[in-house]
Amino acid sequence: MKRSEQFRQANREAKTTVLATVVVILFWIVSGFGLAGSDIIIFDTPIWVIGGCIVSWLFAVVVAWWLAEYVIKDVDTEDSSAAEGGGK
Amino acid sequence: MENLLNLAPALLFLAALLYISYWVQQQSSEARSSNFVKDYFIGGRNLGGFVLAMTTVATYSSVSTFVGGPGVAWQIGYGWLYMAIVQMVVIFLVMGVFGKKISLIAKEIDAVTVIDIIRARYKSDALANMAAIFIVAFFCATMVAQFVGAAKLFEAVTGYSYMTGLTMFGIIVVIYTTIGGFKGVAITDAICAIAMMVGMGILFYCLLDKAGGYSAIMAHFRAHDPAMLEPLSRGKMPISLYISQWLLVGVCTLALPQSVVRSISYKDTKALRNAIIIGTIVIGVVTIIATWVGVLCKGVLTNPDLAAYGNSVDNIMPRTIISVMSPFWAGVVIIGPIAATISTVSSLLLTSSSSIIKDVYMRSLEKSGKSLSNDGVKRLSMIFTILLGFGIYLISIAPPSVIWKINMFAFGGLETAFFWVMIFGLFWHKANSTGAICAMFGGVAAYCITMALGFKVMSLHQITIGITTSLVFFFIGNAMGKMPDMDTLKLFFPDKYEDDEKAA
Repeated sequence: MKRSEQFRQANREAKTTVLATVVVILFWIVSGFGLAGSDIIIFDTPIWVIGGCIVSWLFAVVVAWWLAEYVIKDVDTEDSSAAEGGGK
Repeated sequence: MENLLNLAPALLFLAALLYISYWVQQQSSEARSSNFVKDYFIGGRNLGGFVLAMTTVATYSSVSTFVGGPGVAWQIGYGWLYMAIVQMVVIFLVMGVFGKKISLIAKEIDAVTVIDIIRARYKSDALANMAAIFIVAFFCATMVAQFVGAAKLFEAVTGYSYMTGLTMFGIIVVIYTTIGGFKGVAITDAICAIAMMVGMGILFYCLLDKAGGYSAIMAHFRAHDPAMLEPLSRGKMPISLYISQWLLVGVCTLALPQSVVRSISYKDTKALRNAIIIGTIVIGVVTIIATWVGVLCKGVLTNPDLAAYGNSVDNIMPRTIISVMSPFWAGVVIIGPIAATISTVSSLLLTSSSSIIKDVYMRSLEKSGKSLSNDGVKRLSMIFTILLGFGIYLISIAPPSVIWKINMFAFGGLETAFFWVMIFGLFWHKANSTGAICAMFGGVAAYCITMALGFKVMSLHQITIGITTSLVFFFIGNAMGKMPDMDTLKLFFPDKYEDDEKAA
């Protein structure tokens, strides 16, 4: 992979990460503040606590997994070993 | 003698960390004899995913995660847990935004520190030296605050004196950081992160046991303290506090040098990918357990008046530990916060040392045409690390009284200094050194002044003023400065300034 393509890929990953963060923030707002008016109680706990804290975090883990699995691409392995072996 | 029982677990834990660092030093003696700086300050760029994730989380989780934070949670309730969980984004944010690009550039120019990257990008020694000064000043303040917090907790929980605790883990962390270098810090950090989770897990269990179960605590909240169950906690947790915290411990942590430096240190993309997943899981577990314990200990320390507990939220956690567990288990649980403290201090100490030795001293030698032998660098780095560490220890013996304020202040200061300089440096090709100098200096100055005056806009934390000022100053300075030269542009933005001969 050319260096320019590696950097284009890195830019794409950075942009997607920022978007993913915005999505997590929106999810956190909806599942916490959004549920704060509800009287539903699960395991003795108000539903906004479950949604805003536990489910939001699980959602963030899924987002992190998605980033790692589908967004962040392997660009370095062959290229860097070739560069180190060949010198400058 | 009976008392020795609650000292033993922490002592054994510290001894194990010391041994591991010694082992790391033995293992890397060959690498260090050829290129000391690269192995000592960045672990030979060889970290795997698990260790990368754990060291980033451990550096980030400090004694405040285990003492100050849960103490406030006791006061506010679930709103504080809801706020604290914003930290779930910090690991994938820093690694996703900077991880790949910094690593590509670091390999190209053989960078060891964040300041190496900043110097290569902006070609300004003034900027690099200013960055080094901010790093060392803010880090030293943070390290003292960490030591003081942990030693006070140790005193309250074990009954041993402040000095005993401080000396015990203070001296040991300085020694193991000095001999282990970055690799030693990373591996001991990983062990510390596990210790934090285990310690807090035990405390969580004992707390529920003592309070008669989770349902009983929740019934108590519903009957006597319903504010604990509301996100705004009847005015104690306003929206402006949520926004401040989202910036301060969430989004703006993106450019913290102690996190960014970890993007230089990993082995390959696989390590980065694994670290993003593991790190997000672990930081969630640590934050949720520690803060939840803080909320639930209201079921044990039921007096709503803080005066009953010595008028400080920092007393809540130690009192909870003492009242729910036997001395032996208290001695085990105390390992958690100690681990959080020393894993933060070890990373900050090593980064401070690299800033002074590598970024300032070796650079000034280089400019005057001199150079140090590998052995000379080794001696100097280790001597400086140990001296700085002992200096921090000595200040912590009789700390300045404002130290608690200094801790969060330093965190925001670092964020203000590095946020735009790092983001624009890596993602905006027109960013130049004049802009960066104005942004770093102007932002930190605005932040420090408004902090000192207690001036706020819309009751938001001063980090918002610092970051905004820094942004404005960047654009003003940038308009006056010159475009970066072609070599820099080709190095940092090959996507815009194509150089085809570099094709692999």
